[in-house]
Amino acid sequence: MWRFLAEAGAVFVKDLRTEFRTRVALNALGLFAVTTLAAVSYTIGPYRIAEADRPFLLSALLWIVIFFASMAGLDRSFVKEEDTQTAPLLRLSASPLVVWAGKLAFNLALLAVLMAILVPLYGMLMGFRPVSLWGFAGILAAGGYTLAVTTTMVAAIIARAMTRGALFSVLSLPLLLPLLIFVIQGTRAAAEGSPEGVMEALRAVISLGGIMTILSVVLFPAVWHE
Amino acid sequence: MVGGVRVEFEELAKRFDLRVVFRGVSGRAEPGSVLVITGPNGSGKSTLMTILCGLVRPTRGTIRYLRAGGGEVPRHAWREHLGIVAPAMGLYGELDAMENLRFFSTVRGLGFDEERCRALLREVGLDPDRTTPVAGFSTGMHQRLKIAQAVLHEPEVLFLDEPGSNLDPAGQDWLEGLVERQREGGTTVILATNDRREMEWGTEHVALPG
Amino acid sequence: MSREGGFRAVWPWLLFAWLALVIWAAFLWAPAAANFKGQSSRIVFFHVPMAWVATVAFLGSCIASIRYLRRRNMEDDIRAEAANSLGLTFAVLATVTGSIFAKIMWGSYWNWDPRETSITFLLLIYAAYFALRAAIPDPERRATMAAVYSVLAFVTVPFLVFVVPRIYWSLHPDTFINTQGKIKMDSRMFQVFMASLAGFSVFAGWLYSIEVRLERIRRRRQQEELL
Repeated sequence: MWRFLAEAGAVFVKDLRTEFRTRVALNALGLFAVTTLAAVSYTIGPYRIAEADRPFLLSALLWIVIFFASMAGLDRSFVKEEDTQTAPLLRLSASPLVVWAGKLAFNLALLAVLMAILVPLYGMLMGFRPVSLWGFAGILAAGGYTLAVTTTMVAAIIARAMTRGALFSVLSLPLLLPLLIFVIQGTRAAAEGSPEGVMEALRAVISLGGIMTILSVVLFPAVWHE
Repeated sequence: MVGGVRVEFEELAKRFDLRVVFRGVSGRAEPGSVLVITGPNGSGKSTLMTILCGLVRPTRGTIRYLRAGGGEVPRHAWREHLGIVAPAMGLYGELDAMENLRFFSTVRGLGFDEERCRALLREVGLDPDRTTPVAGFSTGMHQRLKIAQAVLHEPEVLFLDEPGSNLDPAGQDWLEGLVERQREGGTTVILATNDRREMEWGTEHVALPG
Repeated sequence: MSREGGFRAVWPWLLFAWLALVIWAAFLWAPAAANFKGQSSRIVFFHVPMAWVATVAFLGSCIASIRYLRRRNMEDDIRAEAANSLGLTFAVLATVTGSIFAKIMWGSYWNWDPRETSITFLLLIYAAYFALRAAIPDPERRATMAAVYSVLAFVTVPFLVFVVPRIYWSLHPDTFINTQGKIKMDSRMFQVFMASLAGFSVFAGWLYSIEVRLERIRRRRQQEELL
């Protein structure tokens, strides 16, 4: 177990270090998120939406921004390995699950940075103040995890195909749709301060995340070693 | 090194959608010998190497890694027994030489033996204290680091795909010495090349038709 | 000609007659359900079998994909691909028939009812499956990646079909998919419905076997270059 963590940690640190020295993924993710946020805030603004619709529409907009921003950057760590031809040696050196865990951790870190910047900014610009902050944080964490675990798997698949950029969103979005619906429901419930609603959404998100995790552990070696 | 590993392959063929790369390729590589694979450009030498090390599945045919003591190494464990140098397999350009070796050593579960890595870098003719990212290396220096990476874990099977390209004459002499030492140490060396000098290192040959 | 050979020559005609009878009965023999507008309930005899065939095909593809990943036999890849293209075709038919029904009952062809949403994304998922296949030139790699995606996709389907409509309020009739686990239907309608279901299932199975044989021939021709 310790050995596994040390090896996965090495993959994670390696990705972080190369990312820090180039900042490709973070720039893509961050710029996309901020641009979209600016566009949303400029065209819609905080007060254009009727009071009754605010919890739902603002939750939906927030998650749509997060989802599309992640489409811009979460495939990066796998695609870069193929583009710079480092994938074959990584494949021959590390065990598949080590790579999976390291890349997942890297995508989680990217998403965490993205959310840490985007969510407070969104709250300010759009006047979004969830009643239940803890519920909101729970949905963000569970939703972010499930988003990362799903996109990590899809990124591993598309990295080996041609026309990758388009394929990443084409393959990811349908798989992510149930998640999108659950997290929007959950965020709305948090915005309105309904603990039952938050719990119901959390249960759905966590079970989806759990299933995706199990599937990834089982299927990733086949994808990675193909 | 205990025993060594023999690599046998029979009737290998590979097809991509519109192109048959090669077909009917067989051969075997024994511990303590050098199998040389030759063939004109486009004959599939590099493809054959990626298939033999398990990165790509053949369309047809079988490959077996057999331990000298008996028993077959399962496909998913091949990677633990092999090292490879190939033109299309690069190192991390953003990391320096030492960081690259440290990374590969750690993910192979060997931990990080700094003294050993320093010695290895010196052996291939690189300065262990240099912290330039690998992307700033000359192609020859890059090649030397790739060779260090390939022998880092003392593999039983060593794949060399055009290892001498980009090396200066001194580097080529050093490479010849390295192949010789590996072979004498009982390593199975599989060498893909069209270089006349490197071809002479071979104890067996497989020629791919063009 | 052996008796078996005789049956093989005759059964497509039997199927043709059976389906013709089903169509006749669907329009002229079965009554129209009372709580539906006009004759619109008759679409159930076609819409539900289409959806059923699509679901079974996707399930079959998922099973073939898992078998491929376990045994690495190209035959399973052929089955998975054929089942998915059949599933996609029938899902399109289910969407079209559903959309016609929506126009009559609810006044618009499309209004993002949860069932309409879920079938749209089913279509997207399986269209993505073929986009993925087209983007990988290596046949062995293509088979693996497609199989993995097929399994991932199939796992999200229950969330779409069963969980999402429970959260969102749906206009869709709950004749078959409902929380009581009962089928609500008149007996004569039920007979026609079951006959239709059986007929279309056999028809789909036939299409599937043709597609598998065709694909086998296509691949064998490519393989022959290797020999």
